[in-house]
Amino acid sequence: MRVTKGAWLVAGTALLALTVAACGSGAPAGGGEGGDTPVRMEIGEPKNQLVPGLTTEAEGAEVLGALFEPLVKYTKDRQAEPNVAESVASDDNKTWTIKLNQGWTWHDGEPLTAQNYVDAWNWAAYKPNAASAAHFFQMVEGFEDVNPSEEGAQPAAKTMKGLEAVDDLTIRVRLTRPNSQFRLMLGYTAFYPLPAKAFDSNGKITQKYMQQPIGMGLFKMDKPYRKGTDQVIDLSVYEGFKGDKPKNWKQLEFRIYSGQSAAETAYNDLQAENIDVHDSIPSSQLISAQTALGDRYHDDPTSLISYIGFPITANPAFAKPEVRKAISMAIDRKTIAEQVFSGARSPADDFISPAVDGYRPGACTEACSYDPAKAKELYAQAGGPPRIDLGYNADGGHKEWMEAVANNLRANLGIQVQLKPEEKFGVILTALEKHEYKGAFRIAWLYDYPSMENYLTPMFGKAAAKGGSNYSGWTNDQFDELINKGNEARTPAQAIKFYQQADDLLLKDMPYVPVFFHRINWGHSTRIRNVELNMLDQVVWAKVEKADAA
Amino acid sequence: MSSGTLARRRAGGRHKKRRGRPAGLWADAWHDLRRRPMFVASVILIGVLLLMAAWPSLFTSIDPFDARTCELRLARQTPTPGHPFGRDNQGCDLFARTVYGARNSIVIGMLTTLATAVIGGLLGLLAAFHSRWADAVLSRVTEIFFAIPAILGALLIASTFRDSEVDSILLVVFALTILGWPMAFRIMRAAVITAMSQDFVTAARALGAGPWRIMTRHLLPNALAPVIVISTINLGGFIAAEAALSFLGVGVRSPDISWGLMIAEARDRFQYAPLPLVFPALFLSVTVLAFIMLGDAVRDALDPKLR
Amino acid sequence: MGRYAIRRLLQAVPVLLGSTLLIFLIVFALPGDPIVSLGGDRRPSPSVVEVLTEQYHLDEPLLVQYWHYIGGVLFRADLGSTYQGVPVADLLASTFQVTLRLTLMALAIEAVVGVGLGVWAALRRGKAVDTMILAATLVLVSVPTLVTGFVLQLVLGVKLKQWTGLDVFPVSGVGDGLRGYILPAFVLAGLSIAYLARLARTSLAEVLRADYIRTAVAKGMPRGRVITRHALRNALIPVVTYLGADVGTLMGGAVITEGIFNLPGLGNLLFRGVYERQQPVVVGVVTLLVLVYIVCNLIVDMLYAVLDPRIRYE
Repeated sequence: MRVTKGAWLVAGTALLALTVAACGSGAPAGGGEGGDTPVRMEIGEPKNQLVPGLTTEAEGAEVLGALFEPLVKYTKDRQAEPNVAESVASDDNKTWTIKLNQGWTWHDGEPLTAQNYVDAWNWAAYKPNAASAAHFFQMVEGFEDVNPSEEGAQPAAKTMKGLEAVDDLTIRVRLTRPNSQFRLMLGYTAFYPLPAKAFDSNGKITQKYMQQPIGMGLFKMDKPYRKGTDQVIDLSVYEGFKGDKPKNWKQLEFRIYSGQSAAETAYNDLQAENIDVHDSIPSSQLISAQTALGDRYHDDPTSLISYIGFPITANPAFAKPEVRKAISMAIDRKTIAEQVFSGARSPADDFISPAVDGYRPGACTEACSYDPAKAKELYAQAGGPPRIDLGYNADGGHKEWMEAVANNLRANLGIQVQLKPEEKFGVILTALEKHEYKGAFRIAWLYDYPSMENYLTPMFGKAAAKGGSNYSGWTNDQFDELINKGNEARTPAQAIKFYQQADDLLLKDMPYVPVFFHRINWGHSTRIRNVELNMLDQVVWAKVEKADAA
Repeated sequence: MSSGTLARRRAGGRHKKRRGRPAGLWADAWHDLRRRPMFVASVILIGVLLLMAAWPSLFTSIDPFDARTCELRLARQTPTPGHPFGRDNQGCDLFARTVYGARNSIVIGMLTTLATAVIGGLLGLLAAFHSRWADAVLSRVTEIFFAIPAILGALLIASTFRDSEVDSILLVVFALTILGWPMAFRIMRAAVITAMSQDFVTAARALGAGPWRIMTRHLLPNALAPVIVISTINLGGFIAAEAALSFLGVGVRSPDISWGLMIAEARDRFQYAPLPLVFPALFLSVTVLAFIMLGDAVRDALDPKLR
Repeated sequence: MGRYAIRRLLQAVPVLLGSTLLIFLIVFALPGDPIVSLGGDRRPSPSVVEVLTEQYHLDEPLLVQYWHYIGGVLFRADLGSTYQGVPVADLLASTFQVTLRLTLMALAIEAVVGVGLGVWAALRRGKAVDTMILAATLVLVSVPTLVTGFVLQLVLGVKLKQWTGLDVFPVSGVGDGLRGYILPAFVLAGLSIAYLARLARTSLAEVLRADYIRTAVAKGMPRGRVITRHALRNALIPVVTYLGADVGTLMGGAVITEGIFNLPGLGNLLFRGVYERQQPVVVGVVTLLVLVYIVCNLIVDMLYAVLDPRIRYE
């Protein structure tokens, strides 16, 4: 029987579609088939290319943390302990001498030298390189020469004069003013070195290096990672690594999850044992995770704090501290933490996180406790606005708790609250900078290095109000003075005293309202054990063991 | 077209012929429709839904816009007396929210469907009927809009205008219409092209019928049916698209309520708290179902080939 | 017909230019500075913003920016790069493969399942099968993609493996070759299956009532032959149109599906491009989709002529 053209066409389309689809499919992307299946970890897409100076966010930092090894490591009690550095010393907190351990090598076998650090830091600081980590070097002498703050100004030099490789293993750093926190900063991603091979003749980092960075850490990169395209980053143990290595495995694979529901998808993959580590289990899945993962579910404190911020200078309606305090007292932090976050967050009672030294439990007692009656009275007395907007970014899973906060404010203050979700936090930031943003907004802060100062200066310092992260516009000379005193203090304990006094000024004025201390919710598969996170919330790979040694 | 068999339709046809009434197309259709149980059922359903959309307070005494009716500590509570559907993730009464959600979902679905069908249908008719030139230009323009992925296009449009004080409901309708009309355009154009090559059109032309008469009396009735079928199915699609936009954060905005928004809000926790997702999804499905049944019935009645 | 095809392709040039300009305008009008958005919750330092803004001509007027872009495309075959320096051409090449595979698989599924169901229902009009198929299409239409995606991923991806130990459907990603595409393709095709089934059913049922069919039956032709030779041939014209038009829709509609199943395709790329205000990426992806759409449309229109001898192009 002759089949008609129409039927042929439909059948043909189907067949053709299938064949093309089948032909097109390449080999499985998973690395190391046969015997040694890799340990697989979920990450979000690194925001930038994998270069230390370009990386100031957690996902890229997780990968770089596997490829590089920091000068100092953070101990459980948040002290900096020499690691690649043999010692980090200073007499006056102004001139610092970093001595490197002998025998460290790059993944290509070249020795690690002091010059590698000097080159990397100079590259990051140099204005035309537009490195997001440039500000870490602000306190180094000569930063203004390579990165003039004035708009349109060209740098006068390519290198900072305060930075010097005295010999192969010694780096000398001169700061513009004493800073007792400098040693603590050295463990951060921005302070990793770069090999001579990374640079081309013009001092730019080559495209080849960006795709397949050569590091000096536990893992080396097996093949280039093309950002935006590749879904996996395959690493394997570098045999020449001087530190501890994992006992019974060699391959590590980062699987990149992107898009709207990345964390949920990854959680499904963890349940199906398709990945081994997931360090951002979404709060909506915690009820299920606690039972499904059992003792493979973990819940650690982290340095992240959520606040509700106010554009104090841009919107006079928020100018009175009483208005902000009333809003704070109208938020039922405890119930939200329990119902929305299943206990994965706790009510904040200070401007700084319990993860740093100097945190005082209950520092914010009155203004941070839930008291609807008093809130209403205070709000009415201070003449708070009858309608407020509440902004957040829609890409970060904030909707539910912002909704709950809005309901609190509506019910307890009797005002209208309009939620304003934006796709990216950047939209809010842009508007805030131009002083066009009038509503309250959510904001969160995560430290770069474990110090109180890393919360206070960037968010509330006077210098940060112009082109920094001080979005409220709240400034206080006394506050800045106390921070400086803390930075120049001889001992960490003395420094903390000054920082706490500065913190008290914040608690009095409440430029932001601290809402939650976050916890990091993570879990792992049955295939591995002994998983723990370091102080930067990165997995300590050397300790991880595979459960089935087969 | 979920109703009767061919035989019954023929019977209906005979019935009309016996009356010998020279009624117009629409009067005939109405006569035919009243006898279809599917039509009656869908009209009753839609009636209830429209009532719910217009006067939600007839159905529930709780005002979901009053934040004091929400109790976060009772979030995800299963049904209790006074709260027949239980509470949602914010501890608000789910029944009241579902009832109040009808308005925005239905308004968005209907307005968008109407706008796309009118704009797309008219342009499609024009393109197929008017001239080669109009056809070429209109077809190119549709290609631009058709090729831009609907959800992403809507996302772009909705986020571009979001800061203006335009009502979020109208913004959704606007965005979905801009990207939805090419579908109706194509269907209409294809149907008119097919109809134009048919004998009765040639015959009408030969008999000296003017273009307006051919368009309204011969082409439109013949080409309208597929547009109606696509539109009724699209209505559900638009309500679902509204859900997708709300999911992406640019659709209906809280404190407004829509089923799409409710589904998006309940989705993450549906593994252990299914009700906040199930009820709005159920209402949404029933609405879609009602409109499709209505569309089918109307289509069957309008189809002149049955006469 | 060859001349017709060439003319249509020439007409595509203004469509492409028009859509790039349109998208450029829209992305330009989006609120939020792309460079400031780069830092996530943190604001990049002013010097970073300054250098990158200059490097990507973001401080210049819209038309100058568009000229920089279109000039690069036309004269240097350079599609631009992301604000992190990744060439857009590379991104398009790899993501297109993923989306193409997903789309073709979805198309195959809807062609077989959708048309099959529609034809079956039309041939059994009014019977239980017909009603069930119609009910099934209603369910498919009325449950949003979001929900189907998550439910299928959870049930077939996670629970199936947990319950049976069988690793049939990967939860996400393309690491497992073609298998990873099956679930997302099904989710993606869901709505179209319903549309197609209804379209095929309507269309075939209509044709079956036509005079020439009655004539064929009357002259004693066997039913099977009537259906395959006369009815299907005409009934499938709108179906083929739909399938052709659907290629473009599926490719663009893959955003949510690709998101749920973490497939690195065009939809995902475009979505992130919009969020990150990456103009060259958004314009590149949309232009590619427009191009795909134009080609599919052309093929569909040519098929009209093949299928329906009454239509002729010159």
